[in-house]
Amino acid sequence: MSTIDAEPDDILTPIRNTSKLWFVAFGAAAAVALVWLAAWGYQLQNGLIVTNLADWGSGGGVTWGLYIGAFIWWVGIAHGGIILSAAVRLFGMERYQPVARVAELLTIGALSMAGIYIVVHTGRPDRLVTSILEAYPWTVQSSPLVWDVTVITLYFVMTATYLGLTLRYDIVRLQHKMPKYFAPLYAALTIGYTKKEDQIIERMVWWLALGIIVLAPLLLHGGVIPWLFALLPSMPGWQGAVQGPTFLSIALMSAIGGVIIISYALRWAYDWQHVLTDDMFRGLTAWLGLFSLLFIWLQLQQVITGVYAAPTDLEKLMTAKITTLPYQIAIGLIVLTLAYIFAQAVDRRVFSLRRSVAVSFLVLMGTLTEKVLFVFEGLEYPTFSLYHAVPGHYAPSVIEMLSVAGTVSLLTIFFLVIVKLVPVVELHAVEDHEDHSEEVGS
Amino acid sequence: MSTDESSESDEPRHPYETDESFHPMGKEWEDEMRAELEETDYDADLGMQMARDAQRLVAGEISEEEFYTEYHDDVQEEFEADERPIFDDLDGVDLDEVGDDRSMLESLQDVDLSGDDVSRRSMMKKMGAAGLFLGYSAYATHENEQDDEIPEQVSGVRPLTEDSREHRWGMVIDLERCDGCLSCVAGCINENGTSTGANWMYVFAYEDEQSGQENFLVRPCQHCSNAPCAKVCPVRARHTREKDGIVLTNYETCIGCRYCQVACPYGVNYFQWGEPDVEMGRLEFLDKTPEGVQAMDAGDGFEARAATYAEEGSERHEALSEANDHVYDARGWWTDSRPPNGVMGKCTFCPSRQDNHTDNPKGTVACMNACDETGMSAIHFGDMDAEIGDDYDRGVRYLERRKNINPSPKQKNEADPEEDGYGWEEEGSTPQPRDDIYTQEDWENPPAPHDTSQLSTFKLLENLGTEPNITYIGNEPGPTDEQIDTATRDDLTGYEDIQRDIQWPVTVKDNRKHHLDYGAGGPPEDHGEEEA
Repeated sequence: MSTIDAEPDDILTPIRNTSKLWFVAFGAAAAVALVWLAAWGYQLQNGLIVTNLADWGSGGGVTWGLYIGAFIWWVGIAHGGIILSAAVRLFGMERYQPVARVAELLTIGALSMAGIYIVVHTGRPDRLVTSILEAYPWTVQSSPLVWDVTVITLYFVMTATYLGLTLRYDIVRLQHKMPKYFAPLYAALTIGYTKKEDQIIERMVWWLALGIIVLAPLLLHGGVIPWLFALLPSMPGWQGAVQGPTFLSIALMSAIGGVIIISYALRWAYDWQHVLTDDMFRGLTAWLGLFSLLFIWLQLQQVITGVYAAPTDLEKLMTAKITTLPYQIAIGLIVLTLAYIFAQAVDRRVFSLRRSVAVSFLVLMGTLTEKVLFVFEGLEYPTFSLYHAVPGHYAPSVIEMLSVAGTVSLLTIFFLVIVKLVPVVELHAVEDHEDHSEEVGS
Repeated sequence: MSTDESSESDEPRHPYETDESFHPMGKEWEDEMRAELEETDYDADLGMQMARDAQRLVAGEISEEEFYTEYHDDVQEEFEADERPIFDDLDGVDLDEVGDDRSMLESLQDVDLSGDDVSRRSMMKKMGAAGLFLGYSAYATHENEQDDEIPEQVSGVRPLTEDSREHRWGMVIDLERCDGCLSCVAGCINENGTSTGANWMYVFAYEDEQSGQENFLVRPCQHCSNAPCAKVCPVRARHTREKDGIVLTNYETCIGCRYCQVACPYGVNYFQWGEPDVEMGRLEFLDKTPEGVQAMDAGDGFEARAATYAEEGSERHEALSEANDHVYDARGWWTDSRPPNGVMGKCTFCPSRQDNHTDNPKGTVACMNACDETGMSAIHFGDMDAEIGDDYDRGVRYLERRKNINPSPKQKNEADPEEDGYGWEEEGSTPQPRDDIYTQEDWENPPAPHDTSQLSTFKLLENLGTEPNITYIGNEPGPTDEQIDTATRDDLTGYEDIQRDIQWPVTVKDNRKHHLDYGAGGPPEDHGEEEA
């Protein structure tokens, strides 16, 4: 409800105390992850025939489905996360500084999940590295998928650098209060530290943030990821310039949703009401509303252009899309979210943390559904639509669906582990609280 | 790029500047430029000097300011003496700005070259704008030179130019001859051992809703000369053979991401979702690993990206011929017959045949043979670059013949039966009958003779810029046309009807998804199971 009134010691709570609940959460997440890993093993043994994917065309199915949909969903969360964190640093949005690191960690975690999906999706994962590296000098000139791999790698490196640099400051100052048995890890993270570097690192981080803010919309989630689809002229559901902004809006929505959920979990688990304040959650909720509105607007653009005097192929796709129940549900979830956010903006009493968390779940479910629909409906309604068997009916198989549960569990494990290793709230966020001024944001 | 360290000059030199020439395209180019400058009544030395420095400007050795200061006065002098305006008269170029904060490039872009002011244009030509262009061309050439280090960087996406390639394999498919018997589908399955539902050659009837008109579409891979699938492949497994334009998948490097399938506008790809129905051991091939085949001597064959095509008579070619190999192509790449698990497959244009190491002659494909055998001869495979009378001219020959049939059937009957039967030969062309490939009589009497201007041909989705190499004769399907379900019609051959013609343990099916949905275990009862 007010400015942050936390002590540096507060951010060490998760490292110094481990409750039974932590073990329960870890066990549950590990169990789910293991079930999925077993399913994946089965897939590796038998091939992708265990999915419900098939060949588009005479084959009567879709060749990309949930795996690719979930891949772009995770990538979106990752990219939105890093944009959020970069914005905090670049524009001095101190109100959100306590979640900047959560957003960065979410980026690393979500990017890893996206990486896993690439491996899960391919028919011959054993060849991934050798085949891609061998042909790289040629393919980087022509294949959007290779641009994708290139830019994602770049971002992974940038984010990891960013995180690594900012961690040094905190660890040096807090190390004496952190567990001795992690000392080698801390020593590695702070190798060569001198006091003089603080200022330099601050500047480096600023430039990294600038790079991310500039490149993310141009190249990353407004660039190579939508280009995977938007550059193909034979799939009317994908082609077009609107995909860039649409993808970006989805990325930002999903990331903010993710950050709200994770921060809420941290606040709940470690009594961080004073670190992760109501005020901050209000702000995040407002941003979530803004990007949801943007998303709805871009959907409207697509629907209207797709049904009013559209070329036959596009009209066919759009008519099918808007009459599909899952699409209506996805849009419904986002509209519901918007309704809540508008209401709490008009009347502050409508706001509650739990409601914000609930709509964050809705948003994540909505965006995942939209992503999967986007992928397979695009393939179901190609320009060349003579084949009687197309559209086939795709519904993900159990093994495919398990992958979502599996990757969510892996990400949970990632966070459960990381909170035990390093402070997930920046020291800066609690140090600077005296000169914290109320941002006008939202 | 490395600087020339042996350079004696104390002045910084452009990386590819030699004692002979400063221009990357060499002395010849430079001399040509000088000659051009000397034709004018301006200072050629000045122009050349500017050209040289323009290159240094491009290489970043001197700044634009320096370049400008160096030459502004000279240029002014040179041209003002002649009372020709320089920058001041060029539309949109502010002289003072050029030296300050605007780049030379920007300023040049503002220059209106379209104006009919001759003095301006000639001035541009001489004043070392020639020099500047030289510099820019240096820049462009330099880029190209770098590309050369990566051999033929675009290769693998497009065939070579017509002069450099050996063939451009393609097909002319006469839809007016097709009766939908699916023999070609069976021929393809028998040749390649493709799994259930992977109908590389796919034939279907479709209906125009408005006119009620029914047609067949014969749909192999279009082997596009600008293939989207090859362009998007992240590992260059899907590629276009530069030698002859065949679009293939290298089964050894494909990672199974299926982006090719997504990018293909025609839906011709069939992924190997599980273990292939036909085991590797049942295919005919040279019993060596791809590396082993590639290691064999290819002789003096066609050189291409990362591979040499085995020359006829070379060790590799002999070995492949000996084995009647249907799996490797002349490069020793595993690209033919059905793919292994986890890898993409599609119609291949039978590359082992086109590389001439099988018992089947070069210039034939399995589907065409099957079609010819039924007497339909709707498929005409050949080199689409060929002139009539060349080898492998069947495609172009057939098309030309169909185009040029002018007389009505009655007139044709009255024509001299002793004539060679073609009726379209031009002077100097001496087509040889190729009875080994097809029977002339088979397609001698087209179903409906057309006047040249009336023959309807099309390529599928040509407006997408894919440059397909299949030319169809017949009516192009409209955007709202729909496939007719063979199950609803007794008069149409269904896919299960050709089962008896298949030599492999493969169930012929139309709807592959239905089959795939059974998962790894396969359908409970492969045979006699009903279609959904």
